[in-house]
Amino acid sequence: MLVEGQRNRRVLRRVTGLARSTPGRLSLVALLLISASLLAGALTALSVQRRSDALAALADRSEPLAFAAQEVHRAMADADATAASAFLSGGVESPRLRGRYEADVAKAAAALSAATSESTRSPELSPVLSTLSGQLPVYTGLVETARAHNRQGNPVGAAYLREASHLMRSRLLPAAQELYRAETGNVARDLRGAGALPWSELALGAVLLTALALAQRYLTRKTNRLLNVGLLVATAMAVVSLLWVLAASLLVVARVDSSARDAALVDVLARARIATLSARGDETLTLVARGSGAQYEQRYGEADAQLRELLAQARGMTDAPAVAAAVRHQQRWQEVHARVRAADDGGDVAQAVALALGQDPAGAATAFDALDAGLVEALAGARQGLTDSIARARGALTGAVPVVVLLALGAAAASTAGLWQRLKEYR
Amino acid sequence: MTVALASLPLLCGCAPVPSSAPEIGGGVVEPPRPADVVELPAAPGSATAPPDSCGDPLASLRPTGQQPAPGRMPAGSTMERIQQRGKLIAGVDQNTYLMGFRNPLSGQLEGFDVDMVREVAAAVLGDRDAVQFKVLTSDERIPALERGEVDIVVRTMTVNCERRQRVDFSAVYYLAGQKVLVPTSSDADGIEDLGGRRVCATKGSSSLTNVAAAPSRPIAVGVPNWTDCLVMLQQGQVDAISTDDTILAGFAAQDPYTKVVGPRFTTEPYGMAVPRHHEDFVRFVNGVLERLRADGTWAAIHRRWLGDPPAPPAPPEPVYRD
Repeated sequence: MLVEGQRNRRVLRRVTGLARSTPGRLSLVALLLISASLLAGALTALSVQRRSDALAALADRSEPLAFAAQEVHRAMADADATAASAFLSGGVESPRLRGRYEADVAKAAAALSAATSESTRSPELSPVLSTLSGQLPVYTGLVETARAHNRQGNPVGAAYLREASHLMRSRLLPAAQELYRAETGNVARDLRGAGALPWSELALGAVLLTALALAQRYLTRKTNRLLNVGLLVATAMAVVSLLWVLAASLLVVARVDSSARDAALVDVLARARIATLSARGDETLTLVARGSGAQYEQRYGEADAQLRELLAQARGMTDAPAVAAAVRHQQRWQEVHARVRAADDGGDVAQAVALALGQDPAGAATAFDALDAGLVEALAGARQGLTDSIARARGALTGAVPVVVLLALGAAAASTAGLWQRLKEYR
Repeated sequence: MTVALASLPLLCGCAPVPSSAPEIGGGVVEPPRPADVVELPAAPGSATAPPDSCGDPLASLRPTGQQPAPGRMPAGSTMERIQQRGKLIAGVDQNTYLMGFRNPLSGQLEGFDVDMVREVAAAVLGDRDAVQFKVLTSDERIPALERGEVDIVVRTMTVNCERRQRVDFSAVYYLAGQKVLVPTSSDADGIEDLGGRRVCATKGSSSLTNVAAAPSRPIAVGVPNWTDCLVMLQQGQVDAISTDDTILAGFAAQDPYTKVVGPRFTTEPYGMAVPRHHEDFVRFVNGVLERLRADGTWAAIHRRWLGDPPAPPAPPEPVYRD
């Protein structure tokens, strides 16, 4: 018992003696510097990796998913507007409208499968997705039933089309809108994650550099030698690592800023396109209702006002010629719409239908098609800008993680070597 | 030591980590429905017709001796206003096959009621096509007349006391009666077999009131348009449709898997409705109807739209109150 106590005290004395002796202190400094450089390196690499992961999620998942969600919404709204036009044109619908409807359904289904593939990632979206994938076949079934009745001259066909349109507007489109909102929310979240200022990287680098400077001062005082080459190399490596990370991160932040502007433009244009399609559907349904379509005309007015506001917003965000053209086509469409309403309200249904659906260059159909085409072009341009700036941001981070890791290992090794030289002198 | 650490996962087999993948949905199937379907609560006694307070509701105004020639309407009359406008604005239906419907092939409105409108237009303006049609649902008919949006409504509209207090009616131009349409597989033989089952009619129609008031207490389902009823019947969402036999005949013509059953359990006299305080126009329209009955036009229109092999019935006899 007594012997044991004595031994313990001896061990303690040896350890404290070592700590009090200069070689002991030097070893301690070496140990501290190694752990500081390795820890700072690991944490910096982690935060660079996190930024890079956010960019990868943006490029590979949220942005394509938001685009898919927008396609689902757009294709469904277009299918609804096209089905109503086909019905209104009387008789058997034209191959052009039929083709457009079929393309919309195919697009909606394909975009939906793209959006659904990630449903395990966002379980909160699964009811919305199952509404969309479950009701789309029901919708097409109703449209086909309407078509079969139309071909036999049964007026019940119109009722099936109304039921289909009601299903689309009351369940499918709201679900598509919710999906789109959630996915654009994810884009914004990933943009925030990738665009955060690199404060933690800066702090870690500062801590490491301070530690190296303090160690250098300690050595200068103890050994009367002005500079220690090992510590100098370690400091240089830490500075390079910090500057590299800061430069790359700030580049990413700048690019993400421009991505966020592009993403906002994409969102505005996508919503403008959907408003265009709703307005077109309502314009057509007003005519289908034959004089009792005041509610559709009111909805047309709302969609049109929304469209004008969104186009004005887009004008403020970009000077793309496609957007300017879209504004012109929207004005032209509005003028034709006023003439369609005048003809319909004046009892000239045939004239109103011809103005609304005919392929006359002064008609509503051509203005609508031109507006839609302009928005498609502007949207494609904005989306290209978005994916480009994301890609450039990812490029800025290339190699940053290995560089940080290697420089951290190098700094640890260099500071060990520097202190080892001094330690050797005490042998 | 290492072995012990390595075998730790095997030994503890700790808490299982389940998959976070969501279940496959789609277990609950919600069938599509037409827009604005309502189900009337079964309220016994609430739907009985109001007491007769208008004498004979069918009695209309006697036409004045000589009808003015088309295009020469007396100055200051309702007809002259129509003549100046150049068009008769008429409320009709586009969803009732054979009575007033949109021909899907031509996009034109056609049917018994539509032909009646055209006869009135021809009498005022000398042109059967000088009509601006305004499609109305059952419950929009009286509001449209009250707001003066239409000159006349010819839309399978039953004359009754309640409506007489808000609009004027011509003499009866068609006598229908309410029956029941069921799928051919149904065992129901009339409204009395449909207690507790779902029976469809349009909102604002007398048919819906009659269904809700039927002693067998069926569940009345109201929809905006008549064809919505056929959609719901074909999709199995209602068990029967009950309305005037004219409308039911149009359904049976569109769907061979349905049948009209039972006797007429009400009488539905159709009148053309005109806004109140246009007595001259009511008398004029009654004059037109007198002529249609007399010169065989009524029978020809009946044959064209409702003409099953038996000869057209005699047109209903007008009743005038003065």
